[in-house]
Amino acid sequence: MNTSSTKTSFFGSKLSGFRPTPRFVNAVDLAGQWAAPIMVCIVLIVAALFAPAFYNPTNLRTVTIQFAVLGIVAVGQTLVLLVRSIDLSVSAVLALGAVIVVQTQAGNSLIISLLQAFAIAGAIGLINGILITKRGVPPFVATFGMLVFIQGARLAYSKGQASGTVPDLLRTISIEPVGFIPAALIVWLVVNIIFIFLLKYTRFGRWIYAVGGNPFASQYAGIRVDWIMIVAHTICSVLAILGGLVLSGYIGYVDLRLGADYNMNSIAAAIVGGTTFTGGRGNLFGTAAGVALLVLLLNLVVVLGLSIHWQLAMQGLVLVLAVSLQGFRQFLLSR
Amino acid sequence: MATTFEDATAHTEPRTNTLILFLRKNASIVLIYGFIILIAGAAAYFSDTFRTPSNMANILRQSIILGLLAIGQSLVILTGGMDISIDMIARTVALTIATLFAFYESDPIFILPLILLGIVIGVVIGGINGLLITRTHANPFIITFGVAFILRGVNLAISTTPIRGVPKEFLSIYNTKIGLIAVNVIVMAFIWFLVWLFTTRTRLGRALYAVGGSERIARLSAIRVNKTLVWAYVLSGFFASIAGLFVLSRMGVGDPGTAEGMTFQSIVAVAVGGISLYGGRGSIIGTLGGVLLLTILANVFNLIQVNIYYQQLLLGLVVLIAVAAYRSPRTVRSG
Repeated sequence: MNTSSTKTSFFGSKLSGFRPTPRFVNAVDLAGQWAAPIMVCIVLIVAALFAPAFYNPTNLRTVTIQFAVLGIVAVGQTLVLLVRSIDLSVSAVLALGAVIVVQTQAGNSLIISLLQAFAIAGAIGLINGILITKRGVPPFVATFGMLVFIQGARLAYSKGQASGTVPDLLRTISIEPVGFIPAALIVWLVVNIIFIFLLKYTRFGRWIYAVGGNPFASQYAGIRVDWIMIVAHTICSVLAILGGLVLSGYIGYVDLRLGADYNMNSIAAAIVGGTTFTGGRGNLFGTAAGVALLVLLLNLVVVLGLSIHWQLAMQGLVLVLAVSLQGFRQFLLSR
Repeated sequence: MATTFEDATAHTEPRTNTLILFLRKNASIVLIYGFIILIAGAAAYFSDTFRTPSNMANILRQSIILGLLAIGQSLVILTGGMDISIDMIARTVALTIATLFAFYESDPIFILPLILLGIVIGVVIGGINGLLITRTHANPFIITFGVAFILRGVNLAISTTPIRGVPKEFLSIYNTKIGLIAVNVIVMAFIWFLVWLFTTRTRLGRALYAVGGSERIARLSAIRVNKTLVWAYVLSGFFASIAGLFVLSRMGVGDPGTAEGMTFQSIVAVAVGGISLYGGRGSIIGTLGGVLLLTILANVFNLIQVNIYYQQLLLGLVVLIAVAAYRSPRTVRSG
């Protein structure tokens, strides 16, 4: 008995000898939850001091629209992360939606091409979910494979050409102001209200947290774990398409690079906002704060006149820091 | 665990079915080499160009870059992790060394020191990956994803145009031949052999399997889990840096597009070769098969002139099918 316990602590990692006080655990937990909102406030103040151009109304409008697009995509990503999965195909789905709508819009009515786009997104999400649940493929690999496949399909379909004008309806949805705020923000708000309600007050929402928290226990409690995961993936893909439509409406054209950063940014936003990789922890308020933080930082790189590559490096840095913090928090909480 | 149990019971049966036992134990390896023989055979039958000895020698030489990256990726995946940053490590090394060659005005004296410096860069980045992952208990996939983004930004900052000034002597790494076979192919074969010895015969190599099988059990068996994990990422950085140097000697210029998309190909090679993406199972011989298969496929695509837009689609399709055919023994949700 005695020997076995000393053995474990001797040969175990250094951290196994490390005994955090409850206060320290609480502090890390709080930091994990509130890092994003606090950082947003700090960044806003720093921006006021060093880059007043940030508060220029035109810039604010740009930031708002970028916030809305990333916000919509990040809601889906949060749902997927909550069930212990991940979706790396969002960027491809997002761009695919824009391509479909722009290219089929010429002959057809807009409604049909929109329906087409959403149906394809739903199918992609369904396939992702089935690969992950029924075939036991690790989520990274399944959705990463899907990413390559969709990009290939898009290239084969569009022959690598940038094409078409974006339908007026999409432009309206994206950039027309309603009162002060761009319509995109209203789309984001509606999506968020729906999903906050869904997560908090419906059985489905509680199931999502349960599945992420402990899939075995959920299975024994009679929750259809596979089904919940498949639905989460489907919702994620559909929201990615929605984000893609709003984005293409804002940019006004569709090219091959459209939305390439959205995998990274949507995951980073959710993680920064307090969603953990191990599932079951996190909420959409945190995700919104994470989105705000990322969009602000990316915009500040531009406003401060830094070279554009620093955007990439900064995205990576934010992701690494956030994941480290959340990983450490999860490690402390699970002890 | 399940296989050892099966093996133990299988040995009590009469020894008449040794062949069947061998096939069952090495099913994925037999399958992958069967595929290679099938595809290569078909290609050799239908294409005059494919079966020329120089093309065969070429395929072997083309497989080196993917091979180096896939070796590193295998070692990491065996521990249950994944390294998304290897293509960017290779690129960072290639660009940095090319810049330094240009700085020293292509003086051949500096070739050896700069090769060593390149390897040091790769090892250090790999070490940073490993430390971030083990110290913060964060998800390896996302940490290396973030590191890849940081490096991408750094690489863009180094150069966005090809860097000239690599000394001619450095190119001999790629060019030197004995008869038809390039020297680097022979060296690469030796590296494969060494890695095979490493994973099957050394303590650290077996520890990789143990950690990937179950971290907790590995820890209880007095294996230093964190040290093993850091070693895995250091080795992956090491092989990535060699791949970067090799690309540099092949291109003759520091190409800002070095190793684009190679991370995904390395994961595909590993997965197709039968190493479990959950870690702990599989063999480096399978990875060699995966690398050869992908290289032969690329060669065949080129020979029959598949449109470049369809190549990615086909690659994605191959991946999705491989991934869907694959089933993890440790899936949580098999109900």
